[in-house]
Amino acid sequence: MLKRILAVILVLMLVAGVLAGCGGGQQATEEPAKEEQQVAEKKDGKYGGIFRKAIGANPPHLDPVHATDTTSAMIIYQIFETLVGLDSEGNLVPLLAESWESEDGKTFTFHLRKGVRFHKTIEGGTPTANGGREVTADDWVWTFNYICDPETKSPRAYFLDMIKGYKDYREGKVDHLPGVRKIDDYTLEIELEYPYTPFISVLAYNAFNVLPKEDVEKWGDEFNFHPVGTGPFKFEEWVQDEKVVLSRNENYWMKDEEGNQLPYLDGIEFRVIVDHTVRWTEFNMGNFDGMQEVDDPYYHEAKEKYGDSFQERPMMGTYYYGMNVELEPWKGNKKLRQAMNYAIDREAMIDLVKNGRATPAKGVLPPGMFAYNPDLKGYSYDPEKAKELLKEAGYPDGINITLQYNTSDGHKRIAEALQQQYKAVGINMDIKNVDWGAHLDSVERSEVPLFRMGWVVDYPDPDNFLYVLLHSDNRGPQGNYTRFSNPKFDELTAKARVETDQEIRKKLYQEAEQIVVEEAPWVFIYHYTTHVLNQPYVKGYKLPSFGEYSAKYTKVWLDK
Amino acid sequence: MYTYIIKRLMGAVPVILGVIALVFILTTIVPGDPARLMMGQRGDPETIELIRKEFGLDKPLWYQFIDFFRRALTLDLGKSYRNNMLVTQAIIERIPVTAKLAAFSMGIAVILGVTFGIISAVKQYSWLDYGSMLVAMLGISAPGFWVGLLLIVLFCVKLGWIPGTGTGEGELIYYVLPSITLGVRPAALIARLTRSSMLEIIRQDYVRTARAKGLSERVVVLKHALRNAMIPVITIVGIQTAYFLSGAIITEQLFSLPGIGRLSVEALINRDFPIIRGVILFMALLFVMINLLVDLSYPLFDPRIKYE
Repeated sequence: MLKRILAVILVLMLVAGVLAGCGGGQQATEEPAKEEQQVAEKKDGKYGGIFRKAIGANPPHLDPVHATDTTSAMIIYQIFETLVGLDSEGNLVPLLAESWESEDGKTFTFHLRKGVRFHKTIEGGTPTANGGREVTADDWVWTFNYICDPETKSPRAYFLDMIKGYKDYREGKVDHLPGVRKIDDYTLEIELEYPYTPFISVLAYNAFNVLPKEDVEKWGDEFNFHPVGTGPFKFEEWVQDEKVVLSRNENYWMKDEEGNQLPYLDGIEFRVIVDHTVRWTEFNMGNFDGMQEVDDPYYHEAKEKYGDSFQERPMMGTYYYGMNVELEPWKGNKKLRQAMNYAIDREAMIDLVKNGRATPAKGVLPPGMFAYNPDLKGYSYDPEKAKELLKEAGYPDGINITLQYNTSDGHKRIAEALQQQYKAVGINMDIKNVDWGAHLDSVERSEVPLFRMGWVVDYPDPDNFLYVLLHSDNRGPQGNYTRFSNPKFDELTAKARVETDQEIRKKLYQEAEQIVVEEAPWVFIYHYTTHVLNQPYVKGYKLPSFGEYSAKYTKVWLDK
Repeated sequence: MYTYIIKRLMGAVPVILGVIALVFILTTIVPGDPARLMMGQRGDPETIELIRKEFGLDKPLWYQFIDFFRRALTLDLGKSYRNNMLVTQAIIERIPVTAKLAAFSMGIAVILGVTFGIISAVKQYSWLDYGSMLVAMLGISAPGFWVGLLLIVLFCVKLGWIPGTGTGEGELIYYVLPSITLGVRPAALIARLTRSSMLEIIRQDYVRTARAKGLSERVVVLKHALRNAMIPVITIVGIQTAYFLSGAIITEQLFSLPGIGRLSVEALINRDFPIIRGVILFMALLFVMINLLVDLSYPLFDPRIKYE
């Protein structure tokens, strides 16, 4: 009998174990007092309301110093601010620096905005360590030192490697970054090792935000889960894999054209919905005010149903197939690489596979980018020319090649469409998919002759395309995966980095791009577009050419 | 019985140690460098090396193994490579969602499965039997993501009875559709198993005796036959519960539930080795414990089983 009782107890333990988990969950969900925010009544005019946005992934980082992905950036843009910003057209505009000047492209002086304060409270009114104090040049000096400190291990510190003393600081030869100096509380000076014209553009990158020393030091690694910035929204709550909640920064410095305090919204709730179909369904039910990534099957319906609320525009990015010029069969065979470019009908593929949501690529630089050349001599669809070049390249009977891409339905659909087009000219392209980690690893190790890749700019300058992806100094993990090397191209792109005359820079980049097109280390396929779907009552949202993820919600309001 | 429990627990030790070794080997041979992946699409070799050093990936494999082994024994599973969260915290945070989902799904599966199983066994070759088994066959064959999508369209979009996906503010209504989605398959499995087990039992002499004694059919079926037919069902329930508790990847993804399944998928994609190792270790412990509990529960249903 005793044994039977014991057996009953054990079974009950099993059930209790399960239910104990349930109890924990209920407690966890009862903790934050956020319901009040979500049901907040909309105040007069543009003010009030929580913007509910459906996003496709959980952001790994809310600490900008360690973030490298666009989902994290989307939220970081709301909490933090850089010295300079980008408007929706991708132009540099003042943000925390009201103005800046440089006579030689080597030393930059920034005049800081007065009255900018760090967040005073986060997470339901918990006071921050900085106490909501004003941002001064000291904070910028500390922030740049912190980002470049090797102990910080910021994956984007090397974007600043042109700052004077960067190398010595990283190697521990000096205890601070000598190139970043405070002139007075509201004037900051940054000196570079050499003139570097795109420097201001680099500073608009979302890793280089001012940080409050007190909070960063208080939290250490945990700062990722308690981010404090100066942006229009403050951090409230982050439930992993479910949602990130932000609330209005009541002390935000920016005002609208009529002098009203910004932002208008009471807060933003980013909810993670991984499945495209479910995201689309919930948006249609009115559960969201905005959603990311309208997948191809719903594209036409979304455009028809939501009209102007579905915004789409070209984005600064390029999709390509890289041909490793150090590997067979591409090595020393320019004609074969050119044949790969002539053999495909980009427009037909874009219409068929991508619902027309892309611009055929003639070269590397996307439309809208400085130095974009509309007259670039690119590749048209010419299967006869492709066959001829294939023959001249030494493959009169055709060639067998394998494309490696990272697993994704979208990449697969594109590869299958191009596979048919290649077959028509005698290029038998097998396709092979591996996951992103294995793909990147093998491509960087120079093990893959033909691979899919894409690039969306970090900062809006041709330097971030041509120098980063194709200069011989960047072969390998730094971005030049095809291992392309051309002395003339190297010279032109290096020269364009230090040239301050924009007209001359433009010519240098256009000449350099023509060399790449001629040498064809890539199959230039298309330039990306970016899009967003909002409910019709969402006002004040401007889709940035830099990508939907970089949109700021400072002036967004809900007209309902 | 206590000796049996101690023996089983002792027997679990080499299993757990084996899992620790296996998971370490598997995560080290998989291609893709976690330090490199943290850098995004491009990165500078200097920082990659710094990160590798921080993670201890610059150390020889044998050193990494001993270090991992030593820390695993004290349940120090380290921090996520991806966002610096403690592995134990990451798992603990997700247990409530997964546990609720597992409990409700299993509840649905047991109630529906046993009920339909009994009905079809007792009414063998009737339309009730054929109907139940047809539904069970459909339940086994229907893919989870398809069932889930149908449920969303019907109950969220068309009828509007369920507010949507996610967990809302913790309301249990959010678990209804995912639990049905997840519970349908084991319900069908349990129904078929209960039916075949019951058919075997109700032909036994002691059941005939029970009827001959003049007991009502209800008592014969539920008290005399069902209890004995439950042993294989309990085994399946135990194994399925362990599977559910280790994360229902597709269901969690479809219904945007932040559970163990989503954690493990994200960790696999991003080569977040500490999380992968932590989740697998958690799963191994879970399977060992649940199997033990299932075995210990057998005497409850069949007094002939004794653990001496």
